[in-house]
Amino acid sequence: MRGNVNGQFSGRGGMFTYQFDWSVVLTGQYAQWIADGIKVTIQLSTVSIALSFLMGLIIAVMRLSHLGPVRWFAQSYLEFIRNTPLLVQFFFWYFGSYQILPQSVNDWLNARDFEFSAAVIALTIYTSAFIAEDIRSGIRSIPKEQMEAARSSGFSYVRSMQYIILPQAVRITIPPLISQFLNLTKNSSLAMTIGVAELTYQARQVESYTFKGFEAFTAATLVYLLLSLIITALVTLYDKKVLSPTGMK
Amino acid sequence: MKKILAILLTVAFVAGLAGIALAEDAYDTVKKKGVLVVGTKDASPGFGYIDPKTREIVGYDCDFAAYLAKKMGVRLELKGVTSAARIPQLLAGNIDLVIATLTYNTERAKQVDFSYTYFLTGQKFLVKKGTVKSLADLDGKKLGTAKGTTSEQNARNALPKATVVSYDDYPPAFLALQQGKVFAVTTDESILAGILGKAPNKDQYEIVDIRISDEPYGIAVAKGNPKMLKFVNDTLLEMEKNGEARKIWDKWFNPNSDQPMERGKFKITADRK
Repeated sequence: MRGNVNGQFSGRGGMFTYQFDWSVVLTGQYAQWIADGIKVTIQLSTVSIALSFLMGLIIAVMRLSHLGPVRWFAQSYLEFIRNTPLLVQFFFWYFGSYQILPQSVNDWLNARDFEFSAAVIALTIYTSAFIAEDIRSGIRSIPKEQMEAARSSGFSYVRSMQYIILPQAVRITIPPLISQFLNLTKNSSLAMTIGVAELTYQARQVESYTFKGFEAFTAATLVYLLLSLIITALVTLYDKKVLSPTGMK
Repeated sequence: MKKILAILLTVAFVAGLAGIALAEDAYDTVKKKGVLVVGTKDASPGFGYIDPKTREIVGYDCDFAAYLAKKMGVRLELKGVTSAARIPQLLAGNIDLVIATLTYNTERAKQVDFSYTYFLTGQKFLVKKGTVKSLADLDGKKLGTAKGTTSEQNARNALPKATVVSYDDYPPAFLALQQGKVFAVTTDESILAGILGKAPNKDQYEIVDIRISDEPYGIAVAKGNPKMLKFVNDTLLEMEKNGEARKIWDKWFNPNSDQPMERGKFKITADRK
């Protein structure tokens, strides 16, 4: 695997050939780091995708509620979260929360893997705001007669949503949802700023130990691409087999 | 026929020139253009940082760069580099030398040539006062450091049961220590001294005298420039002999400075490449 791709670089000091050395990221200790990073990225993304979808559903329904305060809460949640940089939110949940929480809670959190939890909280809350907006437009595309029919048949508002409206709305929302899940997976790389040893973090560690940054980041890029393709395939499959098995679109 | 011959001759001449240019040692290139471009840190207190008054990069590393340029009889140009960009900048030919708190290790030595050690420090721990007496007090604890350094692996080797969390830089690592998220911050003593020097409540923290590694800083030269490497090494030995190296150390790390450090028994020698 050594030096099977060569690139030319020229500089003021003369010319030399960059030897790509893929063994760095494919074998031994550094490969182990990359593998550990992949594991953490998958854990972080999976947990956050599940939670942010759930949270997004709840916020979307709240956003359409006819109870004023509930709607206002959802509205301000959306505006606040969507208009703040994600990186700032990471720092807020990890470092800023310390100032608000009582000392006993801080001690309890610090004794555990708070880096990972803070990253899940930040990713979930951030992504849920976008998912909520996507689902809301899905819900709005369902003719309002359906809701009226459900209510007049004796379903409560929540049950009408649960059984009639949401299953259809989510199906329509699949393509934008995939985008949000992909964004979340890639955004998870920001967790490295609060010390979560995910894939980008590990690629950078490999680079700083070996200066083989091209190899480390190429490997990381390919893994992100692969993860994205897997997520797209899984959601599309779920849509085809579970949500619309009859081929209805 | 004559024309073809002329073209052939021109091609041969240009190729020949190019051949010479390619083989030329960095030492000769620098001499010829009359300027030595050195990559230094620009945000590392004591080593290479921007003086707020003059807006110029100053520090321990810069004084070595200045001495080298003077000896060569060329102008000095300092260029700020980050930890991650140091080696790539040198390999791309944007800078002639790296004098930027660069720790020697065997992986790095495969990429560039290292001079003799011009600064020696070691990895230590910054903790809340009175919490650590021995290395055993640190095992199994959470330790903070910064990415792009060798500190993480050193800590893992010395304390296998500890969890190491790497932040983007040292200020967040120190913030994590203040908030109790990590039990200690670990990296080169020189950097810890710099953080502690600037901390608002410095009397609550201390650097414990437990050293888990030697961190020898070297000057990096791109591979294939033996003349440049020899010049740097000879100059370093000369600076040790005429007392210049000690003078620079005392200038930046004297007991009244922001990061006082003992030079102790350290001397620039030809022991390690």
